[in-house]
Amino acid sequence: MKGMFSTDIENRGLVLDPRTKLTVVIALVVFSLGGAGSGFYCVRAAVIALCLLPIVLLFTARRYKKALLLAALFVLVKSAEIWLVPQFTGAALSISSIVCMFIVRLMPSLVMGSYMLSTTTVSEFTAAMQRMHIPQNITIPLSVMFRFFPTVTEEFSSINAAMKMRDIRIGGKGAGKLIEYRLVPLMVCSVNIGSELSAAALTRGLGTKTKRTNICKIGFRLQDLTVLLLVLSVFVLWVLGMAGVIK
Amino acid sequence: MKGKDLINIGIFSAIYFVIVFVVAMLGFVPILLPMLAVLVPIIGGIPFELFLTRTKKFGMIWIMSVIMGLLMLLTGMSWPPLAVSAVTGLLAELVFKAGKYRSAAMAVLTNAVFSLWVAANYLPLFFAAEKYWESRKDYGQDYIDKVNKLMPTWMCPVMFASAFVCGIIGGLLGRKLLKKHFEKAGIA
Repeated sequence: MKGMFSTDIENRGLVLDPRTKLTVVIALVVFSLGGAGSGFYCVRAAVIALCLLPIVLLFTARRYKKALLLAALFVLVKSAEIWLVPQFTGAALSISSIVCMFIVRLMPSLVMGSYMLSTTTVSEFTAAMQRMHIPQNITIPLSVMFRFFPTVTEEFSSINAAMKMRDIRIGGKGAGKLIEYRLVPLMVCSVNIGSELSAAALTRGLGTKTKRTNICKIGFRLQDLTVLLLVLSVFVLWVLGMAGVIK
Repeated sequence: MKGKDLINIGIFSAIYFVIVFVVAMLGFVPILLPMLAVLVPIIGGIPFELFLTRTKKFGMIWIMSVIMGLLMLLTGMSWPPLAVSAVTGLLAELVFKAGKYRSAAMAVLTNAVFSLWVAANYLPLFFAAEKYWESRKDYGQDYIDKVNKLMPTWMCPVMFASAFVCGIIGGLLGRKLLKKHFEKAGIA
């Protein structure tokens, strides 16, 4: 089974530079999650386009079914937020607006994050970080982390299932052991996987003093330029809005 | 620091961040928002104490702290957590160094100091509240009012204190589990 965060490199369609993906993630965090510039009409409109970008990227990565599903969900919820929610009052208003906000704000960044992780290999990531002159002391832990997330979530869901079988769950008999009985096995297997990982990485020359080479070809191409221009235009609109040129 | 140490940092950061992420999701219920400063130091203390048994060189705790700050930046918490975590991470490092990287009491204290960055997530709420809510209007006025009522400015030092105290509790819990499970399994 392919998890949400594992890389599938054979079948990934259009390739973007890791730095481009990172830029899109940051833009989404600033505008969609952080809600910067939501006071300006133009920015709000542009952010909707920005939020649809990860879904388009999923299309280019040949995840048609997932992309269609997410696009439908986003359009539905966003239009509900604009037209339907303001007509509610009282508790219905606060509950529906929280639910809409949760989906509209969080989903684009989550989709982009999972797109980034599922289309970037560790080598590409390291190569991009090297070009950005980020020290190894930061890039090695980060790349281990990103590759480790799928493992942690996978192991965790298996442990979760086992503990549910033993009735150690919220409202079950062993609720007091809820955290201990989940975290301890998770940590034991993480540590074991970690030492295997270190052995594998050391044989590949990680942590040597010499400069490492990388055969990955990364660089900015036409598709990167298109994506970056879109992101840049949102930032420009935001600055224009703050300067008082547009509303 | 060698490759192995850096890999360890990555693994434990991943576990720690999964905990932070799960707890942070609870914050969408207003009353649970301050709980971040209680639950993260306590639950996070368990993997963190195990991490400390692998920490023998200067810089490992500091790097993990900076990585937490970077991840907060990437998940939309703006820059204050990163600024604070860069400082508290170094402090935690110095505390553990003072215990010669093996003192159990210092390890508990290290978790408390390390946990301070969690409270930094609330800083915009206290000192830039208007700007903070202006970009979050769609949370609904109801949520905004509830959080504002829950978080008057004097809560700011309380948050840091709570992170520190719960860090000590989490550290003790972590040490206890370390003895109970991991030493027996031979991985502590």
